[in-house]
This record gives sequence, C-alpha cells and structure tokens, in this order.
Amino acid sequence: MEFELPENMLCSKTHECVYKENDEYVIGITDFAVEQLGDIVFVELPEVGTEFSQGDIFGAIESVKAASEIYAPVSFKVKTINEEAIEKPELLNQNPYRDGWLIKAELTDPSELDTLMEYEDYKSEAN
Amino acid sequence: MEIKLTPLHDKHIELNAKMHEFAGWDMPIQYASIIEEHKCVRSKVGLFDVSHMGEVVIEGEDAVELLQMLVPQDVYTLEDKQIMYGQLTNKQGGIIDDLLIYKYNDEKYLIVINASRVDADIPWIRQNAKDERFKVNITDLTNDYSLLALQGPNSSALLDKIGIKTESQPKYYCFDDYKLLDTNVMISRTGYTGEDGFEIMIKNEFAVKLWDTLMNEGQEFGIMPIGLGARDTLRLEAAMLLYGQDMTEETTPIQATLGWSVSKNKTHNYNGKDVIKAQLASKPNKKIVGFIMEDRGIARHGYEVFNGGNNIGVVTSGGISPTLNANIGLAYIDSSYTIDDEIDIKIRDKFFKAKIIKRPFVEKVNKIVR
Repeated sequence: MEFELPENMLCSKTHECVYKENDEYVIGITDFAVEQLGDIVFVELPEVGTEFSQGDIFGAIESVKAASEIYAPVSFKVKTINEEAIEKPELLNQNPYRDGWLIKAELTDPSELDTLMEYEDYKSEAN
Repeated sequence: MEIKLTPLHDKHIELNAKMHEFAGWDMPIQYASIIEEHKCVRSKVGLFDVSHMGEVVIEGEDAVELLQMLVPQDVYTLEDKQIMYGQLTNKQGGIIDDLLIYKYNDEKYLIVINASRVDADIPWIRQNAKDERFKVNITDLTNDYSLLALQGPNSSALLDKIGIKTESQPKYYCFDDYKLLDTNVMISRTGYTGEDGFEIMIKNEFAVKLWDTLMNEGQEFGIMPIGLGARDTLRLEAAMLLYGQDMTEETTPIQATLGWSVSKNKTHNYNGKDVIKAQLASKPNKKIVGFIMEDRGIARHGYEVFNGGNNIGVVTSGGISPTLNANIGLAYIDSSYTIDDEIDIKIRDKFFKAKIIKRPFVEKVNKIVR
C-alpha cells in the first residue's frame, strides 16, 4: 500500500519515524514496519510526561505473529499518546502516518535528529 | 544447508505471500491478513500447502510390532483405513514428535510427522527397528509427495464438486485412496484447525494442478489460500499442541495432557512405558492448561506464569483468538492449579491477569462426520 508521507519525515534503523506537525513532533512507525508486521493487534504506549533517551524502549507493538518493542528514535518527553490507536490497533495498518500515529512529544535533544535517515535512504536500507 | 521449496513455491510467490523459513523449508506465512485467513477457514474453506510435513511408510511383517515399540498408543486397535493420533516417545517417556499413524493393512502403515522432526524421527525409528531386529522397510516419501490441507465447513462440498462424492469421502480420522485429476491421491479427514476438513497427499508433479483446481473450483465456496500464520492461530483456538513449543523431549504425553490418546492397558512394551504408566497412576508434577487473558495483553511462548508472586510455570503458546476476539494461550504449570484459577502472566516486566479455562477455546461449530 502507498501512503502519503508527512513532510520532512525522518526514520530510524529500528523503523520508527519522527516528523513535525503543527509545531509538535509526532513519533510513529514506518509503513515498511507495518507491512512487515501484518495485522497489528496490540499497542502499548508510555504515560504522558515520561522521558526517554534515544534508543530506549518506549512501548510495544504486537502483530498476530509476534511482539516487537519500539525504540525512541530521539530523546523525548511524552506530551500526548494516541489513545485511539490503543483502542483500535488496526489504525496502524490503515495508515501509520495519519490515524496510526503513536506519540506527540517534546524533543529533549533536537540535535539527535541529525542521526536519523531521510525516508528514501531508510527505505533502500530496509529493503 | 540449502532451503527447500515445495512444488507449490511458485504459486505462493505468484500470490504475493510473505515467505519465511520454517524447518528448512521456504513456506508461506500469510497471503493477505492472518485474521482474514483465519476467519475464512472458520466460516468457509481454506487451502494450505503443508508439503513440508514428513511422510514415511513402514511396511513388512513386523511393521505393527515396530510401531507398538514406538508409541504409547495401542496400534493393534487400529482398523484398516483408520488413522490414530500418537506420539513417538523416548526411553524417559519424553515426546520426540507427535504424529498420525495411517493403517493400510497389518503390514503397511504410513506415518505423517512434523517437518522440524524428520531428521530426528527417521534415525530413531530405524534404530528401534535394528535393535529389535524387526523385519521392516522404512521409506521416507517426504521429498516425493506433497500434502495439501483443505479445511473449513465448505471443504466437503468442494471435494464433491471436483469428483470425490460426499458419500465416498472418508469419515473423521479415516482415509482412502482415490483417483483424482488422472492420478492417485490419498485423502484423509484430518487437519490442524479444529474444523471439518481433509488432507490430500499427492505426487509432487501433480501438486500444482490440484492446487489450481481447488482454488478455481473453490471460488464459489469462498476459498482462500492460507499460510502458516493462520494455521497457528487456528490450531491454538482448537487447543491442538505444537511440537517444539507445547511438547518437547522433556515433556511426557501425560504432562502434555495427551493422556486421552494413551492406551491405559497396553500390554505391549514401548519406549518410556515405566514413566508414562507411573504418571497415569499418580498425577504428574506439571501439566498443560489453557488460559484466557483478563487484562489487556498478549501472552507469548516463553513468558513466565505467576501466582501470588510465585513462579508456577511458563507459557508454551500464546496469541490472539480471532473467533473469540480475546487473547488466549497454553502454559505448563504446577498440577495443583485447575480451571477457574487466576494466574498472572509476566509480559515485558509487568503482570497481567489471566484465568485457566476449559479447552478447546473454540468449540467445533460444524459437525464432523464420524
């Protein structure tokens, strides 16, 4: 499936993505990750206010087949979590860049964005 | 070692399946969505390529004597054209593999074994035959034959349409030889889904033709190709055990709660008889139970099970039940726990409540012809 990509989206090797939307940073997982996982049936997200350093496990996503941990692509503090994605994990399959986002966050070290990849580079590496 | 391909491999690629290595074979995990495939088998009909399974023929005047040594079931009780579920046990009563035993006649049996255990089972069987000086021939047909599973409430009607008339179809846990698509096939009324269905054993060169025929003629019955992903969720709902997860060489058939399949008064000797007899008389220290998650969380193979802070066992299989829209699993726990007892499953360092419940998780909705 083809999805419209958020502008200036950056991706991590571990398949998370970060992009800016209305002055807020949004964290999610890539469409490649969603495609690999198949039917997503469970999303576990941290509490609002929790802080993570780049590389920390901040939650988990489970498909029918297996559980996968999700890693902080950059250091951040949780401002909002997508409650709807917890209720309806299939939103991630439908579109990970729209209703299937995970967290809105405040970046605690925005310079780490430089360590992430542009989507095209990420995609060719992932394949 | 080179990865093995079934004769239907090109079909899977054509159907855009997600492929993955399983027991040395490149197998389809899913074609579309595992949940959709699962529901298709429960409500209509699905077609599986299970050609990775092992097929071995045991023939000769001592064929039945050899089988009697190998399994805790009483193979003497099997009639011609009947099938028996059993386990190959080691000297300590541990399960080397689980299998189906098909009886052609007193001197010819076919066994169907797990792909992951072919390399363990065949040398073990040969060794037993040698030790006891049995007059048998053991022939591995795994690489010459394909196995297609047709499962779901519409499977009988589809077979009828392609020429295996309803009245001539085998009954539950029976099999027969048939002419189909100008070749000989063996059809059994067996499966690994908890639904009515059949498994068809056919020479490799005819497998693609059979697949295409079933897929084309099955359109009106709502057929879909089904991968190993849904095969796992289907068997878990039916609480059928998976070798390597729910059964290993360290667990006996009694611990695996397969006592129903074990002969209580088999006079013939068999591997592990002392241990199995003793466990039949008293209860084993641990056993398999089925559970349903009460808290929101999915149990997976290897997660630990607790009660009041004490570690009481381990999850052997866990996942979602698309039919119940709940999360279920199987666990080996201390035998003192029983149905309705509350347990805690440790998931990512947190405890999630679950309850031991009756198995199977999903009752057979569709009557099976016996």
